[in-house]
Amino acid sequence: MVMKVISANQAVAWGVRLSKVEVIPAFPITPQTTIVELISEFISDGEFDAEFIPGESEHSVMSIAVGASAGGVRTFTASASQGLALMHEMLYAAPQNRLPVVLVNVNRSLGAGAGIWLEHNDSMPERESGWMQVYVEDNQEALDMVIQAYRIAEDHRVMLPMMVCLDGFVLSHTVERVDIPDQDMVDRFLPKFKPLNVLSTDEPKMWNPIVPPDYAMEMRYQLDWAMDSSRQVIREVDLAFEEKFGRGYGGLFESYRLEDAEFALICLGTATTTARAVVDELRAQGKKAGLIKLRFMRPFPENELVEAVSHLKALGVFDRSISVNRFGPVFTEVRSALHDSKISLTDHIGGLGGRDLTIEEMRDIFSFIEDSAAGGTERKVFWHGLRGVQL
Amino acid sequence: MAAQTLAEAAVLEGYHAQAFPYFGAERRGAPVKAFARIDKKKIGIKSQIYKPDMLVVLDEMLPDIEPIAEGLKAGGKAVINTPLAPEEYDLGISVECGTVDATTIAFEKLKAPIVNTSILGAIAKVQDLVSLDAIVQAVRDKFGDKLGARAAALNADAARTAYERTRVGRCKGEKPLAQRAQWLPAWEQMPQGGALPVATMGDMVVGPGSSWQSLTGTWRTQSPHYSKEKCIRCLRCWWSCPEGTIKRQADDYMKFDYRYCKGCGICAEICPADSIAMERGVKEW
Amino acid sequence: MTSIDVSKLTIKDVPNKDYFLWGHGACPGCGVAIAVKNIMKILGPETIAYVPASCLVVFGAQYPTSSFDVPYFFTAFENTGAVATGIRAALRRKGKKAVVVGLAGDGGTFDIGLQALSGAADRNEDILYVCLDNEAYMNTGIQMSGATPFGAWTTTSPAGKVIKGKRRFKKDIDHIVAAHEVPYLATLSISHWNDFLRKVEKAKRIEGFRFLHVFTPCVPGWRSEAAKTMEIARLAVETGMWTLLEAEQGESTLTYKPKRMESVTEYLKLQGRFAHMTPEDINTLQKWLCMKWWVHYKDQVEAPPCEIYRAEKPMAHDGDPLHGV
Repeated sequence: MVMKVISANQAVAWGVRLSKVEVIPAFPITPQTTIVELISEFISDGEFDAEFIPGESEHSVMSIAVGASAGGVRTFTASASQGLALMHEMLYAAPQNRLPVVLVNVNRSLGAGAGIWLEHNDSMPERESGWMQVYVEDNQEALDMVIQAYRIAEDHRVMLPMMVCLDGFVLSHTVERVDIPDQDMVDRFLPKFKPLNVLSTDEPKMWNPIVPPDYAMEMRYQLDWAMDSSRQVIREVDLAFEEKFGRGYGGLFESYRLEDAEFALICLGTATTTARAVVDELRAQGKKAGLIKLRFMRPFPENELVEAVSHLKALGVFDRSISVNRFGPVFTEVRSALHDSKISLTDHIGGLGGRDLTIEEMRDIFSFIEDSAAGGTERKVFWHGLRGVQL
Repeated sequence: MAAQTLAEAAVLEGYHAQAFPYFGAERRGAPVKAFARIDKKKIGIKSQIYKPDMLVVLDEMLPDIEPIAEGLKAGGKAVINTPLAPEEYDLGISVECGTVDATTIAFEKLKAPIVNTSILGAIAKVQDLVSLDAIVQAVRDKFGDKLGARAAALNADAARTAYERTRVGRCKGEKPLAQRAQWLPAWEQMPQGGALPVATMGDMVVGPGSSWQSLTGTWRTQSPHYSKEKCIRCLRCWWSCPEGTIKRQADDYMKFDYRYCKGCGICAEICPADSIAMERGVKEW
Repeated sequence: MTSIDVSKLTIKDVPNKDYFLWGHGACPGCGVAIAVKNIMKILGPETIAYVPASCLVVFGAQYPTSSFDVPYFFTAFENTGAVATGIRAALRRKGKKAVVVGLAGDGGTFDIGLQALSGAADRNEDILYVCLDNEAYMNTGIQMSGATPFGAWTTTSPAGKVIKGKRRFKKDIDHIVAAHEVPYLATLSISHWNDFLRKVEKAKRIEGFRFLHVFTPCVPGWRSEAAKTMEIARLAVETGMWTLLEAEQGESTLTYKPKRMESVTEYLKLQGRFAHMTPEDINTLQKWLCMKWWVHYKDQVEAPPCEIYRAEKPMAHDGDPLHGV
C-alpha cells in the first residue's frame, strides 16, 4: 500500500488500473478529463495492460463500452454533465442487457445557466435507467468504490452497471491523502469477470433483438429483481472490503450520531463532510443533531432509512439539484419513503451551479431543521445562498 | 387501412368509431392485425379486441397458421376473402359468413392484389350498421386525398363489385383452431439478459437460426413453377431469391422449398432460360 | 487464410451454406434480403453480426427467434461503427478471431450514423461495415434520407403541387469514407453477383476498416414491382445511377463498365417514386449522369444520350466537366 496525495480523478484512474479493466473508451469533458489522461499515461508507460479507445463522442463511447462488455471484457468509462446526457440513449442498453459496465460521473451542471461547476442535475435523471448509482464523499472512497463497483456489478445476483458519482472540482480536482492498495490485495478481492452472456462464435446467441410485448414485462421484472438483489450484495461487498482493506462505508448509507438524535440531515456527496463538522459543533452545544450519509440512490434504501429515522422529530434533505418546481430529487424519494411517518420533512437546496457550500450555510440548514423539529416552520423548501425573496 | 376506412364510414353514418393496427413496423405481405370499434357513444376502451363481433379475414389461409377465429362471438359474423362459398369455407367456428374473391376483384380493377377496398364492400353486405354508400364515400374520400380521382373511382368500383359478388351463408366450423408453437415463460424461467442460444423452449426452437418455424410461404398469391428440363444451371435464381428458399443441389439444379416462397417472382424474371413461370395461387410442385 | 485469386471468383463459388435463413419477415422481393443472404453465406459462421435500427433489425430477428445463424446484437440506430468497435476490442483482448460485421441501412450510415462511421473509419477499426442502401428511411415508412436520389418521392419529399420530390442529390458517402483513407472500400450491387462476391471475399481477407456500400432496391419504398428488384439494380448500374468501384488506401478503380450508358429513363420508368418527374427534372438527372460519364468513363464507355445537354449550351469552361452542373 502506497500513500499519495492525489485528486479524486487520479484516485479513480488508480481504481481502474487496480481493477484490471481491459477496455476503456472515453471522450473528454471537464471535470472528468484528468481521469482518462492518467489512465492513458498508465497504458502508454506500459504500467497498465488495457486498451484505451478515444471515441468520437460520448454516445459512441457508451456504445463502444456496451459492445466491449457484450464481447465479455471488463469495461470502464467516465463522463459528466453534457457528456452523460449525450450518452443517455445508450445508458439504457446496459442494464436490460445485464452488462456490468462501470461509469464514473464527475457531477457537473447540465444545461443552460451553467458552466463547468458542480451540480447533481446530470446524474439524478439517470436514476430511472436501471444503473446502480452511488455518490462518494472523498477521494479515498472514489478509488475504493471503483473496485467495489466491479465486484458488486459483476456478481451474478446483480449483473447491472454502476454509476459512481463524485463532485466536480470539489473532489475531482482537490488533492487529499489517498491510500493506494496493493495490486495483489485487489486481485484477491476482485474475482475475474464471468459474463452472463457473451457475443462469441463458440456459443452463438441472439442478443437483444426487437422484443415484442409478449416478453417485455417479464424482462422488466427481471431487471427490477436484479436491482432489488443488489442491496444484499452491496452490504456484503462493503463488509468484505472493510475486512480486507480496513475501510468500511456502511453499505447503502452511513449514519452518524443518529441513534439518539432528535433532528438530522440526509446528505450525499461532499456536503456530507461539512455536515459532519456542523453535527459535531451542535453536539458540543448539547443539541441532538445527527446525520445520514446517503450513498446509493439506486438501489434506494427505503426500508432501512425508514427504520433508521423513525425516532426523529425532523429530517432535512440536502439537494444539490432540482426537479423543476418539484423539490429536489432526493427529497421526493425520501418523502415518498416516509409517507407514513409523522416526521417533519424539509428540503434544503444549495450549491447549485457550483455555488460554494460554506459551513455557515450548513449551520443555517441545521438551524432550519432544528426549528422544524420544534414545530416552528410551515415552509418545506429552502434555497440556501439564494439572493432575493423565497416565495 | 381497411379498418380505418371502415371507421370513417361509420362516422359518416353518425357513429363514434375507433380503428388501429397491431402496432408494428411497415411490412408488406406479412400477417397483420387491425381492429375497429363502432359505437353510438364515445368509445372508452383502448386495448386490442379479444372477443370480436365481426372477423374480417383478408387471407383465406390465415386460419391454418394462426388461431384467428379465437374469441369470435357465437352470434358474430365473418367476412372472408376466398373464392369458396360460405358453406365450403372452414373458419373453425361456424358463424354467419360473407365470402368474396376479393383478390380477383383487386387484380381486375387495381392490377394488384391489394384487397382492402374490395373487402370493405363485402363488409357492407353482411351487416346493417355501415351501409355500402357510406363505405364507398369513405373510400372516395381517402383516395381523393392521396392518390387522385382515378384511384378513388377504381377503388370505389372494387368495393361495389365486391358487395355484389359477396355470398352470404354460414361457414363451417370443423377445423380445430391453429396451434401456434409458443413459448410464454414466467419471468423466473426466462434466460437473463435478453440473450438466447440455440435451444428448445416450450414447444418451439429459439435463438440463432430459428426463423424456419415461420412458414412465410402462406404469404404468396402466385407460385414459381420450375421446369428442370429447361434449366441451364446458371445459378441466378439461387443467388436472387430473397428468402433463400431455392436450394442449390449437388448437380447445380434447383429444388424449390415452397414452405417459404413469398411469390415475389424475381426468379422467373431473372431466369435466362425461361425455366421458371409464375402461376396464380398457392401451389407447389 | 487460403490464397484464392479472388478476382477469378464467379457465382458458382458462392458458398452453399446459409447463415441468414428463410422464414424472415422481409417484404416479397426485398433487395436487402438478397444482399444479406448472400453476404452471410460468403462470410460464414465465424462472424458476429451487429445490426442497428433498420428494416433488417425488424425482419431479421424478433425475440425469441432469429434468421441470423451467427451471434447477433442490436442496440440503437446511429452507433454501428461504435458498437462494432467495442466488440472487436473485446475479441482482441481475448485473442479471438471472427469477422465483426455491421449491417446498417443508409439512414444509419449517411445521416444519423455518420459520426460513428467516421470515428471508426478514422481509427481504422478492424470491422467490416456494410451499408445496405435502399435510399430512404424505409423501416419508419419511407422518409427521405441523405441517400435519397434527386427527384425521388418519399413521404418527407413528396411529389406535391409545388415541390416535386427531393431537390438535392444523393450524398456522396463513398468519397466521404475514402477521405478517411481506409484500407478497403467498394460499391456493390445485388445485380452484379460476380463483382459482389469478389468484393465481399476480398474485404473478408483485409484487416482494418472496410466499407461495402451495397445497392438494394426496395419494393414498397420505390413503388416498384417485386419481381423487378434485380432488374432495377442492374439498370442502376447500366445507366450510371450506381457505379461499381473499389478503392484501396484512397486509390480507386472501376470494377465494371457498362458497354454503353443507357438513358436514365430506362431506370426511372420502373419505379413509382419517379413517376411524377418533369422532363426538366429528368434532363437535370441525365445531365448529372453525363457529367459522371465524362469524369469516370469517357472513351471507355459509349455515352448516354446527352444530346439535350450538349444542345442546351456549351460547357462554360473548355475541358472542365464539373462546371455548370
